[in-house]
Amino acid sequence: MPSVPAPAAPVPRTRPVPRQLWLAVRLPALPLVALPREASGPWAVVADDGPRRVLVAANAAAARHGLAAGQALNAARALVPVLEVAARDTAAEARHLEQLARWAIGLTPLVSLEPPDGLLLEVQGSLRLFGGIDALLRRAAADLEARRETFALAVAPTARAATWFARAAHGTVVESAATLAGALGRLPLAVAGWPARTLEDCARLGLATLGELRRLPRDGLARRFEPGVLAALDEAFGLVPAPRRRHVPRERFVERLEPEAELEHVAALEPCCAHLLARLERFLRVRDAGVATLAFTLLHRDHPPTVVRLGRALPAADAAEWRGLLGERLGHVSLPAPVRAIVLRSGAAAAVGGTTVDLPGCGGGGAAAAAGALRLLDRLRARLGEEAVSGFGLVAEHRPEAAFRRLAPGPAAARAGTVPALPAAPRPLWLLATPEPLALAAGRPARGGRLALESGPERIESGWWDGLPVARDYYVARTAGGLRLWIYADRAASGPRRWFLHGLFG
Amino acid sequence: MNGSLEALLAGAALWRARGEAEADPEGHLPSGWPKLDEELPGRGWPLGTLIEFLLPEAGAGELTLLRPALAALAAESADATRRWLAWIAPPHAPYAPALAQSGIRADRLLLISAERTPDRLWAIEQALRSGSCAAVLAWLDTADDRWLRRLKLAAETGRTLAVLLRPARRRAAASPASLRLLLEPTPAGLDVVVLKSRGRGPLRVRDVLGP
Repeated sequence: MPSVPAPAAPVPRTRPVPRQLWLAVRLPALPLVALPREASGPWAVVADDGPRRVLVAANAAAARHGLAAGQALNAARALVPVLEVAARDTAAEARHLEQLARWAIGLTPLVSLEPPDGLLLEVQGSLRLFGGIDALLRRAAADLEARRETFALAVAPTARAATWFARAAHGTVVESAATLAGALGRLPLAVAGWPARTLEDCARLGLATLGELRRLPRDGLARRFEPGVLAALDEAFGLVPAPRRRHVPRERFVERLEPEAELEHVAALEPCCAHLLARLERFLRVRDAGVATLAFTLLHRDHPPTVVRLGRALPAADAAEWRGLLGERLGHVSLPAPVRAIVLRSGAAAAVGGTTVDLPGCGGGGAAAAAGALRLLDRLRARLGEEAVSGFGLVAEHRPEAAFRRLAPGPAAARAGTVPALPAAPRPLWLLATPEPLALAAGRPARGGRLALESGPERIESGWWDGLPVARDYYVARTAGGLRLWIYADRAASGPRRWFLHGLFG
Repeated sequence: MNGSLEALLAGAALWRARGEAEADPEGHLPSGWPKLDEELPGRGWPLGTLIEFLLPEAGAGELTLLRPALAALAAESADATRRWLAWIAPPHAPYAPALAQSGIRADRLLLISAERTPDRLWAIEQALRSGSCAAVLAWLDTADDRWLRRLKLAAETGRTLAVLLRPARRRAAASPASLRLLLEPTPAGLDVVVLKSRGRGPLRVRDVLGP
């Protein structure tokens, strides 16, 4: 049997990475605390794991009876017949995690949610403020105790290592990259949270710790295990950067401004709105955040309010650009009555920029160009309306009219990016929104004179499954004047053949 | 010194000014149609200025003529520099699968509808001045010379392939465009009448798409 060449698994090129220090907060009891329940007896939160119901978390009383997360509910009931159970509420857990994130932002602005049960805080920049990592840890522990949380804390130079240390034990602190590999290598494989199958494979190879696993040749690692394993190891040991999504609390900016005199003209609105936008910008800058939507509500005395909505392709904070968009929009606003108050209300604040706690050089080149491209979209939409600006995506579909779709241009269109197989036969550069019936001259299609058929037929039959079946023979035709057309004969209808113009080769 | 200058002047890559008043700071993009390139100063579409197509009707060959240049621009503005291919108020929807057949990625296309002429002029100006469009194709039927001049100024701020598509009946109207072409489909193919190209008189390029 010929040997299959192993996919190369090169060692990632190391590059200067700014020093980071991650504090991982793990909350093993999160499923319990998220539920509004006070019981002194043994109780546990359960969830479905495939066909089985398993314990996700058990309270202290249940733990004293030997119950722990991961056990089957049947087995737990056999041990503790009086065990009370509650169904897991992941939405409540997420809300609880967000509340804790608000607390964490008091320690560092760089907080990332690590569902299901953790937070990550990048604390390198906060060390000086708190007087060192030990003091910061004491402060975090005291805060969490005051909030009556059950927690484990760990510190490491990479986010993933910190997470793994926190899963292994409370209180591990590895500050320097030099000692990271040694400390990480001693951890059992279970901390990585890999699927059971991966752990079984490791056990068969006699591997028990991360260090032993990492000593395998890289190519072997890449071949033997799913790709996530090598990637996670590289992240944990700091060989590749692992940006984290920075969490921004879901806050909105709402502020009301009442001018001294009622404003009668649109032009008079601008200074007031500019003032509100400047305050919005300060609000967002403090949070290092932006918003993608704004609504100005203009209140009149005896009329329903006028609402002016603005949108951006990406969250942004800059008052100047918002002012430009507003200016475009106000040009099209007519006031039914003088304005006595203006309320500015923003959408939820979100992280700006790459939306991640990103390392320099990982943001991708051309970020400024991309921002410029989106700024153009924002301006066009502000004046012409959302629906006036669109992009295109391709759809794997035989019916020509369904082989593309309109979508919002920009990030959405780029994400929709998979290119389906394209037809080999010629397609016109213009497609008519509705096929135009063609006249007949002596039984042949005509358009200001007889059409000469240049190529075809290309038979397209499709769409029977969604109730819009087509059965057409397409031809490339040329008019007497020299225009190239894409026409088809409809084969679906009975009776004489009917011809339609569907596109222009332009 | 002199020798190398002569070598440079002899090189085909260098475009020598043919006595035009205007400088050529932004370069040209080959149209991809050799017969046409032959007759165009700079041997291609001038970038960063206004080009005008005069069309007897939609579908007269305007997109076929532009397709190679659009493909080149789409390839050039790869992921690093996201620049749009903007279509402003076209008479029909550009057919994305056909453009993709030429390598023009669908996610580069930007379709802008603007019914009212002032909105349309504004949108063209914004697109040209933004610096984020590799090409701006704009369909327009106005005789307002002041606006056309304004659009030309906007085109000169960037390195955009800026094409204004107007009905052929505007042929007699004055136009500030640097290059004006009248498209005339024939039973054999497509003729292009170069009405104006940097000071040169009208000339006809027969069967542009032919061999």
